[in-house]
Amino acid sequence: MDHSAQKEPERIARQKELERIARLSGLSLSEEEKEILFSDLARIVPYMERIAELDTSSESGDTQQEESGFLREDEAVESGIASEIVTHAPQVKDGMFTVPKIV
Amino acid sequence: MAEDPDKMKVEQSDMSITEDRDVKMSQAPIMALSAYELAQKIREQKVTSEEAVSAVLKNIDEHECDVHAYLSFWKEEALAQARKCDEMVRESTDVSTLPPLLGVPVAIKDNLLLRGKRSTCGSKMLKDYIPPFSATCVEKLVAAGAIVIGKTNMDEFGMGASTEHSYFGATRHPEDPDRVPGGSSGGSAAAVAYGGASAALGTDTGGSIRQPAAFCGLVGLRPTYGSVSRHGLVAFASSMDTAGPITRGSVDAAMLFNIVNGADPKDQTSISAPKVDISAMENYDVKGKLIGIPKQLLREDTSYDRSGVSSRTMNRAREFFVKNGAKVEEIDMPILDFAVAIYYILSSAEASSNLSRYDGIRYGYRSGQASDISELYTKTRSEGFGKEVKRRILLGNYVLSSEHFDDCYRQAERARNMVKKAFDEAFSKYDFLLCPTAPGVAPKQGEIDKDPLAAYIADLCTVPASLLGTPAISVPFGRAEGLPVGIQLMGPRFGEQEILGAARFVEKALASDIDGDISFETQTMNQKGGTDS
Repeated sequence: MDHSAQKEPERIARQKELERIARLSGLSLSEEEKEILFSDLARIVPYMERIAELDTSSESGDTQQEESGFLREDEAVESGIASEIVTHAPQVKDGMFTVPKIV
Repeated sequence: MAEDPDKMKVEQSDMSITEDRDVKMSQAPIMALSAYELAQKIREQKVTSEEAVSAVLKNIDEHECDVHAYLSFWKEEALAQARKCDEMVRESTDVSTLPPLLGVPVAIKDNLLLRGKRSTCGSKMLKDYIPPFSATCVEKLVAAGAIVIGKTNMDEFGMGASTEHSYFGATRHPEDPDRVPGGSSGGSAAAVAYGGASAALGTDTGGSIRQPAAFCGLVGLRPTYGSVSRHGLVAFASSMDTAGPITRGSVDAAMLFNIVNGADPKDQTSISAPKVDISAMENYDVKGKLIGIPKQLLREDTSYDRSGVSSRTMNRAREFFVKNGAKVEEIDMPILDFAVAIYYILSSAEASSNLSRYDGIRYGYRSGQASDISELYTKTRSEGFGKEVKRRILLGNYVLSSEHFDDCYRQAERARNMVKKAFDEAFSKYDFLLCPTAPGVAPKQGEIDKDPLAAYIADLCTVPASLLGTPAISVPFGRAEGLPVGIQLMGPRFGEQEILGAARFVEKALASDIDGDISFETQTMNQKGGTDS
């Protein structure tokens, strides 16, 4: 579907929806990024939404599980790298992650 | 993406990059050997591991400035390991008990963790991340005696098909710097192609092993989903992510597969697949085989193949298999018209969920501009992710949002089952399926980014095996427009023996094809294809 062929109200509605999705995604986009990404998605999303045409009434909604996969006991083991893992955080104090004040 | 002052180029320990811009296969006597042959010669003390590693490092020195296949490599450490391997060989009383890849230099993609070595996934988000553990498949490779030379460049988090979407700059095609090597495992493919490693591990979510292998004239095997543990493979789309080999031949691919294959307590979806019998591969014959070609995978209207390379390649492939005694039939699989949509809905949904872990708290990049916790999340993610990753996150969260969940995400899950049923039926009749790996030859740099939807649609031939979790291999099938082309062979779950056997058959036939019947439009290396414009 050609982006330019979209009706203006539809385009504005989609733009608003994508802005909401961006907020939910934890992304704040610059005006330049919005222009590029939203116009790309205005073509990509309708292509993906074509799958609504498919008659899938004979299929269950679950992805079939192959015979791979196994369950094991959830055992606590000493990895020996716990203190090392903490050092990978951008900010650490007294062996704990430092974050901005929350309340 | 804005230039960042701390942007890292190649991380070198003590390498000097020469100004030699002439791409050629130097150190030919050693690097002409397959990884399999090299391992044998090292055991027989006909070649030392130190000589092999030195040859690889010399190639890196010569070509890396043009190609940029590596994000990091370590010269002295690799040489020291090589000397240790040589000592093991000298001191061994029975060399047959030595590890199978002892002393062989390999490369690994940057989303496969190696303890103590920077693993960036081609992203600013992980630009300084040094993992405290290794991926299981990397551990297995190291336990098999391989010497990991370095970590290779990739599209950020595996999202892309050209290795142009790396925070650290694009990788270029080793035969033509104006073109892409494919992706997202383009660094692994380019390194093996120019002799910067004997073999490599890549990862494949929607075709990221097979497509760059095809573009660089190599073998790329996507193994059965689960047969290679995903522990330590940085997640993109967990129901499809698979690590596998990119090699100069199918025997190397089989050997690497045998090494990395196996159930792992650290990955609940992992399962041991049968080992491939390499000697049986040598005796494989396509005579009497029944081969299916899904006709929906023969589309000629892709923007990357205006001169019809794929259709000519497929005509040649069909002739080749028939001439050698196989029966080839076209199969109608209408569900494949939706394969790209199903793949992008599901993979983007999984990606948006997997990438929610990058919040700037526990590891990775953290924005220095945030005043509260919510701003910290948003600024970290907005500054840390590149354009293509943001596009996938938006698409993923769109199809997962309550308004579209049923019509998009659930519908795609149901449609995935329909794809599985169609292929189960096909695999019950045919020995294997045949199709192009990718449309045309390696595109020019910058071409893919012009139209993201066209780039997604170009994944048509590789995404079916990803949705199915079945094995598929890209094997070189001559050249066109001066560049390599590949064909893809697909088998049922655990069908590695069959498709590797068929790949070996094709390889041997091409090697003995002195009349050029198969290697149509053969041109010497470094001649540029020129029809794309």
